[in-house]
Amino acid sequence: MADAEQTPPDAGTDRSGRPPSASTEPPILAAHEVHRTYRFGQVEVPVLRGASIEIGRGEWVAILGQSGSGKSTLMHLLGGLDRPDAGRGTIEFEGRAVNLGAGRSLDRYRNRDVGFVFQFYHLLPELSVLENACLPGLVGGWFGHARAAAARRRAGELLEQAGLSHRLRHRPAELSGGERQRVAIARALVNGPRVLLADEPTGNLDATTGASILDLIAAQHAEGLTVAMVTHDASVAARAQRVVHLRDGQVVEG
Amino acid sequence: MYAALLSNRYLTSRVIPLIAVGAVALCVALVIIVVSVMSGFLDMLKASGRTLIGDVIVSSGIGGIPHYDEWLSDLRALPEVEEATPVIDTLGLLRMPYPSGPSKEIAPVQVWAIEPASFARVTAYGEKIWWRPPADEAARETMLPDDPRLRMDGSILRDGLTLSQGATGKPGIVMGMHVSVGNARQSDGSYRPRFGWFMPGEDVTLTVVPVSESGTISEPRDATFPIVNEVFSGVYDVDKSRVFIPLAQAQQLLRLDAAPLYDTTAEPDAEGNLPLLGTTPARVTKVLIRAKPGVDALAARDAVEASWDAFVAKAARRSDRLGRPPERVSILTWEQQLRDLIGPVEKEREMMRILFSIIYIVCAGLILSIFWSIVIEKTRDIGILRSVGASRLGILWIFLRYGLAIGVVGSLAGVGIAWVVVDNINLIHEAIGRDAPRAAWITTCALSVLSVVMALRSLVWRGRLLPGLLWTIATVTLGIVTLALLGHRGTLIWDPSVYYFSRIPSQVDWFNAAITVGGGIVFSVIGAAIPAAKAADVDPVEALRYG
Ligand SMILES: Nc1ncnc2c1ncn2[C@@H]1O[C@H](COP(=O)(O)OP(=O)(O)OP(=O)(O)O)[C@@H](O)[C@H]1O
Ligand SMILES: [Mg+2]
Repeated sequence: MADAEQTPPDAGTDRSGRPPSASTEPPILAAHEVHRTYRFGQVEVPVLRGASIEIGRGEWVAILGQSGSGKSTLMHLLGGLDRPDAGRGTIEFEGRAVNLGAGRSLDRYRNRDVGFVFQFYHLLPELSVLENACLPGLVGGWFGHARAAAARRRAGELLEQAGLSHRLRHRPAELSGGERQRVAIARALVNGPRVLLADEPTGNLDATTGASILDLIAAQHAEGLTVAMVTHDASVAARAQRVVHLRDGQVVEG
Repeated sequence: MYAALLSNRYLTSRVIPLIAVGAVALCVALVIIVVSVMSGFLDMLKASGRTLIGDVIVSSGIGGIPHYDEWLSDLRALPEVEEATPVIDTLGLLRMPYPSGPSKEIAPVQVWAIEPASFARVTAYGEKIWWRPPADEAARETMLPDDPRLRMDGSILRDGLTLSQGATGKPGIVMGMHVSVGNARQSDGSYRPRFGWFMPGEDVTLTVVPVSESGTISEPRDATFPIVNEVFSGVYDVDKSRVFIPLAQAQQLLRLDAAPLYDTTAEPDAEGNLPLLGTTPARVTKVLIRAKPGVDALAARDAVEASWDAFVAKAARRSDRLGRPPERVSILTWEQQLRDLIGPVEKEREMMRILFSIIYIVCAGLILSIFWSIVIEKTRDIGILRSVGASRLGILWIFLRYGLAIGVVGSLAGVGIAWVVVDNINLIHEAIGRDAPRAAWITTCALSVLSVVMALRSLVWRGRLLPGLLWTIATVTLGIVTLALLGHRGTLIWDPSVYYFSRIPSQVDWFNAAITVGGGIVFSVIGAAIPAAKAADVDPVEALRYG
């Protein structure tokens, strides 16, 4: 594969299979021996078979793998959207297992601790750009007016950083793909999560637009955000500090 | 927060839920209108029925109640009784003063012979006398300039209250408003006599048939009375057939007055006289009682019954067998008396309520199916919301709130519609009762022509099927409405001879309206709950993967 050649040299030093800070600090987000099996009636399809990954604080990890290898599945597990097979693996955020708690605590985890960006943006068509970006700030409280105002402020800032301050009242349908993805990133970051999970964030965009999206992520990463990003594209993976591969249901370093 | 935002957005960003709002509004309006009219009708029945019968009604057979005077004073002494009044009721034929030729019209009537002074204290007779000068300036204001009451003085009311013609001192008759054909009710609710003549002052001849205690029917007898006034009770049946005459005259006519009784089986004496057996006491067939304020009609009834038993016991000790009270009398409260009038209406109202409540299920089903498709359409959005941390309850709440909003908006709109309709129901009824105004069908005709043009424009020029179809439907509907208006020849739906009243009740029954609104909201939420639960069950990963 061409991945290795295109990886920048500075990232190359970290390709030890462990996060750079692993020796000193525990990972912020980790999967331990997770299994995820899908069922088609009688047939069982094991997608993840004891996959483990540790993502260090402030790290940017790219996850590569063939189509159908289970990258999205792993991301969903990391993001608390899905749970591993019962009793087979744990997802830990800051040292505490997130997949074992009640649905409520998982909801909270998704809302506060991680931000998710999808390939297909997934904005709500009825809401304006600003409202979409605010959404996580509105979730999780019935009378959170103060929180909503704070979310609005933060969303405004993030959208400004993304160069969208002139389109706050627009509907997603009126935006280009790249603009939509910027809104999605603003949404993912509005509650100030520690980790950004991006599942092929540039998969639907041309190279230039994709690069600008990655610049936006890089800017946030520079400010201390931990990023886990799935991609097909080696040049996209090159932006990360560390690249892992998903093969045969397991995470393989390098 | 986001639930409010989203449910409001979903409500305002699409047309289909508005259909649900409209459906809920129509259901609620329909139920409120029907129940309000029925309740108003019931209230009117009760109130009007009560106005001319008092609180407790004692009725005997044709033989009547002898020594009623004694019993009346017993009754008046009771702590539960405010006043009691004797009445004779019988059937009669009334020879009317019209038409102008020698052959006159005959009206079958129900005769009530009363003692006007005490009768007015037991019933609302005094207030129901129609022809009277306006009581004050305010009353004068409400009358139209051609209302004959404006030119009357107090003597006509006095004549009605005393059942006698003031000028001649002759005993008079007071008739129900609809007994004479001369009274035409105007749409403002007042009566202005037709044909330029005016009933009070005219003579009528009343024919009645005396029936003896044993049930033998005697020769009919008649008497002529001047009409002194008319009463309007509001109950069509009463106003159509009831006439009032003084009690004394009726007793004579019907041979219910005190009279010597001779032994017809014995031989006459030398002067041709039969031996005198005694005196039959004067009798009445009914006693009406008004309860003291605050005394319940049932309690008054019980007191009256006890008093009657005492009266019977006292009479049994009397020597003259002629004065024996009848074996059986019926003693009923006004509500029991009106039972066969009120009962069916109450049942009918309950039936209506139940029948119309089924509409709610239809409403709930409509909301269910609309929401179901929205939830399916919005599966991806639900997944997005879950992915940013929305809980299952949060998702549930979006759709419940949405249903609640439809229920609340729809129900309140329904109350509004119902209020407007009920408030104007008599106007609407009168409009239906008339031929359609030309402007109406010209307008609908013009609109249908317009929609033909629009339909052609959409179909032919623009090549758009949906607007074309909608305009075509509009054309057909308007065409049918036009034809219906053209063919409409005025139908009276609320026939006063069927419904007792000449006006449709036009008061919204707010208590029932509140229940109906509650029902509308509850059923909307129930309809929304099923799709909402489905939405809450959406698996975010699945939703995002396939959305
Ligand atoms: N709900 C499901 N039921 C059955 N199989 C599933 C389900 N979801 C995913 N799979 C299967 O699991 C495997 C991994 O899917 P996943 O989406 O994680 O792959 P991926 O690596 O993200 O692929 P791509 O690069 O195309 O996005 C695929 O073979 C897919 O068909
Ligand atoms: Mg994928």
